[in-house]
Amino acid sequence: MADPLLSVRNLRLEIATRRGPLLALDDVSFDIAPGEVLGVVGESGAGKSITGTAIIGLLDPPLRMTGGEIAFAGQRIDNLSAEAFRLLRGRSIGAVFQDPLTSLNPLLTVGRQLVQTMRVHLDISPAAARSRAVELLAEVGIPAPTERLDCYPHELSGGMRQRIVLALAFCCEPRLIIADEPTTALDVSVQAQVIELLRRMCRERSTAVMLITHDMGVIAETADRIAVMYAGRVVEIGPATAVLKGPVHPYTRGLMASIPSMKRRTADLVQVEGSMPRLAEIPSGCAFHPRCPVRLPHCDCQRPSLMNAGDTLVACWLAAHGNVAPTRETIGHA
Amino acid sequence: MSTDAGLSDRASNPPWWDSDLAYDFLHSPVAMAAASVALVLLIVALGADMIAPYDSNNPASANVIDARLPPGAIGFAGEHYILGTDPQGRDMLSAIIYGLRTSLIVGFSSVLLAAFVGITLGLLSGYCGGLIDSVIMRIADVQLSFPAILIALLVDGVTRTVMGRGAHDALAVPVLVIAISASYWVQYARTVRGLVLVERDKEYVLAARVTGVAPVRIINSHIRPNVMGPVLVIATINLALAILTEATLSFLGVGVPPTKPSLGSLVRIGNEFLFSGDWWISIFPGAMLVILSLSVNLLGDWLRDALNPKLSDG
Amino acid sequence: MGTFIFRRLSQTLFVVLAAALASFVLLRYVGDPVNNMVGQAASLAERDAMRRALGLDDSILLQFVRFLRDIVNGDLGVSYRFGVPVSRLLMERLPATLELSVCAMLVATLVGVPLGVWTALHRRGVLSHVLLAISLIGVALPTFLIGIVLILIFSVWLGWLPSFGRGATVAIGHGWTTGLLTTSGLKALVLPSLTLGLFQMTLIMRLVRAEMLEVLRTDYIRFARARGLPRTTVNFDHALRNTLVPVITIVGLQFGNIFAFSIIVETVFQWPGLGLLVIQSIQFADVPLLASYLVLIAFGFALINLTVDLLYAVIDPRVRAGLIVSRARL
Repeated sequence: MADPLLSVRNLRLEIATRRGPLLALDDVSFDIAPGEVLGVVGESGAGKSITGTAIIGLLDPPLRMTGGEIAFAGQRIDNLSAEAFRLLRGRSIGAVFQDPLTSLNPLLTVGRQLVQTMRVHLDISPAAARSRAVELLAEVGIPAPTERLDCYPHELSGGMRQRIVLALAFCCEPRLIIADEPTTALDVSVQAQVIELLRRMCRERSTAVMLITHDMGVIAETADRIAVMYAGRVVEIGPATAVLKGPVHPYTRGLMASIPSMKRRTADLVQVEGSMPRLAEIPSGCAFHPRCPVRLPHCDCQRPSLMNAGDTLVACWLAAHGNVAPTRETIGHA
Repeated sequence: MSTDAGLSDRASNPPWWDSDLAYDFLHSPVAMAAASVALVLLIVALGADMIAPYDSNNPASANVIDARLPPGAIGFAGEHYILGTDPQGRDMLSAIIYGLRTSLIVGFSSVLLAAFVGITLGLLSGYCGGLIDSVIMRIADVQLSFPAILIALLVDGVTRTVMGRGAHDALAVPVLVIAISASYWVQYARTVRGLVLVERDKEYVLAARVTGVAPVRIINSHIRPNVMGPVLVIATINLALAILTEATLSFLGVGVPPTKPSLGSLVRIGNEFLFSGDWWISIFPGAMLVILSLSVNLLGDWLRDALNPKLSDG
Repeated sequence: MGTFIFRRLSQTLFVVLAAALASFVLLRYVGDPVNNMVGQAASLAERDAMRRALGLDDSILLQFVRFLRDIVNGDLGVSYRFGVPVSRLLMERLPATLELSVCAMLVATLVGVPLGVWTALHRRGVLSHVLLAISLIGVALPTFLIGIVLILIFSVWLGWLPSFGRGATVAIGHGWTTGLLTTSGLKALVLPSLTLGLFQMTLIMRLVRAEMLEVLRTDYIRFARARGLPRTTVNFDHALRNTLVPVITIVGLQFGNIFAFSIIVETVFQWPGLGLLVIQSIQFADVPLLASYLVLIAFGFALINLTVDLLYAVIDPRVRAGLIVSRARL
């Protein structure tokens, strides 16, 4: 990719536990181009969220980055001082978290939180910040924005609160937004609206998004590229259409096959056997090999790195052999 | 569809000596030290009759000639008073050991009583809900707004006034135990109730209720195992508080009757002699009290941190 | 908000009435009031006359109502032991206890809160661990022992400060005496306030620390940091604000605790306050005194709790909106 906005290379993250350090992220690499939406999918515990946390620099003990590099707009950021990184946060890289009900300080008014954030990063007077806040609220679809400025978070519904969270994330015009499960805690009816809002705001500002979620539906509609994570590693990454329509990695194929579809009439829902291993018990070689229906003899001792397979990069020895024949029906067991 | 259960089961349910708690204990010098001290004190108290050089309960062992001797002194009849004597000529070391026993008896009894009452009421409150729940929780709320020492003082005072001097002295210890537990049952009730509410609405419990399983069985098999951990933490911290409360009440003169030995009353006796320079009468019992309550407190703190999943960090 | 206030007021009333009832039962049924007034040797006729004079022949309800009316009017009976009206005794001793409690509270809060905040913000520092260790010991120390040790050090061995009494006091207004205006009065206040406040200080420090650590873990603090707000803003404008809200409740309630522990401190230092009075009333079965004390503290505590709750409503907008109805659920 030419001149990526965000470049993550060989990221290694450890969790210190009572019994020794555990590897939470193992050699994770990917890029995000300016203005593109990268969807990061995987099961709970695959390491999606902590990747986002590492990028925005909010890793706290017991998490620790022990290897790799993160570069933003060509500059390395993982080794910045705390103060330098702080200036980056909110201004160049923003974040949206999962639960809108707890993301806002209950004791401060909405307006106060907006104005404060803007005044920290932008050289702007309180009055100007206030009027900008009103504009932002109107943009995210909050009715009567001027009155709402003096509201407390508990006076608003969950959907409205998430919109305000979006307003807060965008208020200083960052170039990259890390969206960590932005719709998971919302009602289904509201989810679509919030995603649409996110897409619109990103398009208008050409903001790139790292959209972390386990909701395939959201990914399918929103992502330009998709990265699939498993047990702290990236197993497949490529353009959205390629990953969705023609997944290569057996895990991704299992994921896609397990989505119920109105069009395809199968007798039973496909399921991938077993479950993702715990951090303390990650298998040697390819982390997926115990559950893989098409594993090769050396999959349990040689770990595959990301290899070319058409449009996508896949961490699977099968792709290396150019052999992607296994059909959908043989992936899972009924 | 079989799941890969074999591996994960053993990892998530290790035998108790391999559990996280045991591991934590063996790697926490503070916890081990506190537990050892507490254990030693417990043994000393239980074996008071055999360990104490003189029998504090026997008035004949008190020799007024030997009154207020400093630590290390030799008595009139050649007795060794390692920690000195009190105004009545009683050996301080023995008095402290017997006092320790009183503290532990009263402490454990009140904790047991408070736990029993609190857990029962908590279970009732959480499981039955409705009016019973409201009433119990209201009483709990009201009682929480009063400090424990005051409640204990008042319960003790009122019983004393109602029963009269003589009758009260005979029943002093049970009354004291009741007075102390009267203030501490609330925390058990609240915690247990909270846990019951969480469990009660889980689906497998609902299923059990629908199929007619007796409530007692439900409580026993589903709810009780989850309750034990937090209750243990509360009980440990409670024990320290109960011991201090008994000592305080005895110090004030409204706890254990003067005939029975107590660390608190010893301190009170010594209070009058501070200016005469006889510091050991107050300080040694006081030190013992501090050691006891400190070790129990430390154990309780460690237990609470160890059982709290949120607090684990490297 | 309305529901909240109504609930709290009704609870207050309930508590005070319950205490009054307990008090009434004590007075009426413990021992024989007639006996206490006329003595053993009185004749039957005299006893009957006394019974009627005391209104003991009327219905229970009537007697209770009369009892309540008397309380409201300030008539709390006559002490068995001292032979003077209880209300006078209480008023004489109240200033001493109040002054001591307030001083102790100041000590505890002004030192405890900042220390708690500091140890939360610097949770991995050496000094934090030292302070925490000291506070652990502080919680395990019984108050009376602290007093005795302080007396030993500062009165007996160093001779700097007095170990009993209140020093010289000055009378102000209607029956209020204060020790704050004389040097000896101030000196006499030091050790008792320190003793009384030390325990509370360690408690407050640990509570503030725990509360602040909880707040620092919340999503909204994380989001504030994700927005690039400076550390000081996050810690003080956000975290501290959210920490102080429940802390204010705690501090307010601690005042009640201090009041209770003042009994102990007054005993150690022979401080002429209510505490000493209560102990004596228990030891000598002085029922009118004990009963009145019961009502007084029930009222005092209920008042403290009510004030704290109202204060809470002023500070936390969620309470005003009626979202939180009971302090127990916070």
